[in-house]
Amino acid sequence: MTEAVSKVIRTEEYQLSMGPVHPSTHGVLQILLTLDGERVVKAVPCMGYLHRGIEKLMESRNYFQCMPYTDRLDYVSAMNNDFAYCRAVEKLAQLEVPERAQYIRVIMAELNRIASHMIFIGSLAVDVGATTGMIYPFRDRECILDIFNELCGARMTYSYIRIGGVKSDLSVKVIDMINVFLKNLSAMIDEYNDLLTGNEIFQHRLKNTSVITAEQALQLGLTGPMLRASGVNYDLRKDNAYSSYEDFIFDVPLGNSGDNWDRYIVRMKEMRQSAKIVKQALDGLPEGSVMAKVPKVLRPPKGEVYVTTEGPRGEVGYHIISDGTVKPYRVHIRRPSLINLQALDLMCRGYLVGDVVVAMSTIDPILGEVDC
Amino acid sequence: MQGKGLLTGLSVTIRHFFGKKVTVQYPEEKLPMSETFRGGKLVLDQKKCIGCRLCSMACPNEALDLTVETDENKKRHMKKYIHKSGRCLYCGFCVEACPTKAVTWDKNYAIACYTRTDLTYDAVKSDGRNETHE
Ligand code: SF4
Ligand code: SF4
Repeated sequence: MTEAVSKVIRTEEYQLSMGPVHPSTHGVLQILLTLDGERVVKAVPCMGYLHRGIEKLMESRNYFQCMPYTDRLDYVSAMNNDFAYCRAVEKLAQLEVPERAQYIRVIMAELNRIASHMIFIGSLAVDVGATTGMIYPFRDRECILDIFNELCGARMTYSYIRIGGVKSDLSVKVIDMINVFLKNLSAMIDEYNDLLTGNEIFQHRLKNTSVITAEQALQLGLTGPMLRASGVNYDLRKDNAYSSYEDFIFDVPLGNSGDNWDRYIVRMKEMRQSAKIVKQALDGLPEGSVMAKVPKVLRPPKGEVYVTTEGPRGEVGYHIISDGTVKPYRVHIRRPSLINLQALDLMCRGYLVGDVVVAMSTIDPILGEVDC
Repeated sequence: MQGKGLLTGLSVTIRHFFGKKVTVQYPEEKLPMSETFRGGKLVLDQKKCIGCRLCSMACPNEALDLTVETDENKKRHMKKYIHKSGRCLYCGFCVEACPTKAVTWDKNYAIACYTRTDLTYDAVKSDGRNETHE
């Protein structure tokens, strides 16, 4: 009897298009899901809805004028993008950045990392259905945006880190604001722990879902918290220290099973480590100028460089080719979101449709960066 | 205990429910903009401007369209200072590039408008803020 029924009721695979206008795709991403009932058979991310041709735009502007465009790649952590771009141009033009500027860059990059992880926590919360959990990290991120607004006059597109240093020195008010923020951060994180980390439903959704093993992570070329959640200890701030990162003591949080839960916990822990770095950098801030002597017309010598920086999402790399003129001949950007997003299929296969949303969220892609 | 985490979370919510408001009640209340704030419209101080065009040369997106006039004393002054704010990246490079600090932001961030042409304006006419051009 049962055999007869199973012959009659046959499930058939079907396609479901998630996005590009879907609240949990973090922007304009389309995911083509092949489903068998509620099980995911295949998930294909379709990108390009936010393509603006930034690499091409940069080729038609001089090195200084490229700055506002790097802000618009990963707009949630624009400081880190500017940082990577400036380091690449500095290496190309053989510029030496003053130590004070290096420290200020580290402070800003780490603050931006915290802000970015707050967005991650907030959007993860809303994606698993805990709308309340979203409000708190977004509220606290506002403190960091206020600091940046005071510092450089913008909340998202900073253009603060400049070729050769930073735009302006830290004012007393900004230093005070950072200190107040650091003092409150611990209580903020405790609050997220109370709201989310301890929540049983939240744990059930995240634990043992979308597992990526260390080997798979390396094969896919994942970087950042995605890679470290799988237990691979790779952090450019430690392994290829730049901009005085070797002066600071901090740990690199690692996961062990590579599931959604680990990716969440790694980012949670990273926030405390970033705060530790900011504190050390503020305490040991060297005196001096914040800008190197940069020629008004910058013509880096012919050649090419590839420089990497640890952004909140992974390795941000800039490959710039100079032909000796004021404009870059070619800019290629290694965007961590794009490469991390390739793990989506692996993370979704065999899981339920509801898990796709969570997997997508723990990848934490920024579509501005994915599409460039 | 199963459900303990849920209750802890709920206590946070309840605590904040009776706590202080953190949001600003816009538009009744408005936040002051910082000293460095980049936004609003550009204002040109014609007395300070020397017509050197450094601002428009610094602009990454050709958002500034200047018309410079030379008078009988060979002195340059700005006749038209068209800011196509639809193209503007609000990077502030123009303000930074100006050697005489002639161009500044008015910091009025409520710049939404109804038509595309409203985005383009002349910063010379400081009284004609909402006049349209082209
Ligand atoms: S803010 Fe930037 S984009 Fe806008 S007019 Fe000035 S230089 Fe051009
Ligand atoms: S506004 Fe400043 S930079 Fe622009 S033309 Fe006038 S003086 Fe030169």
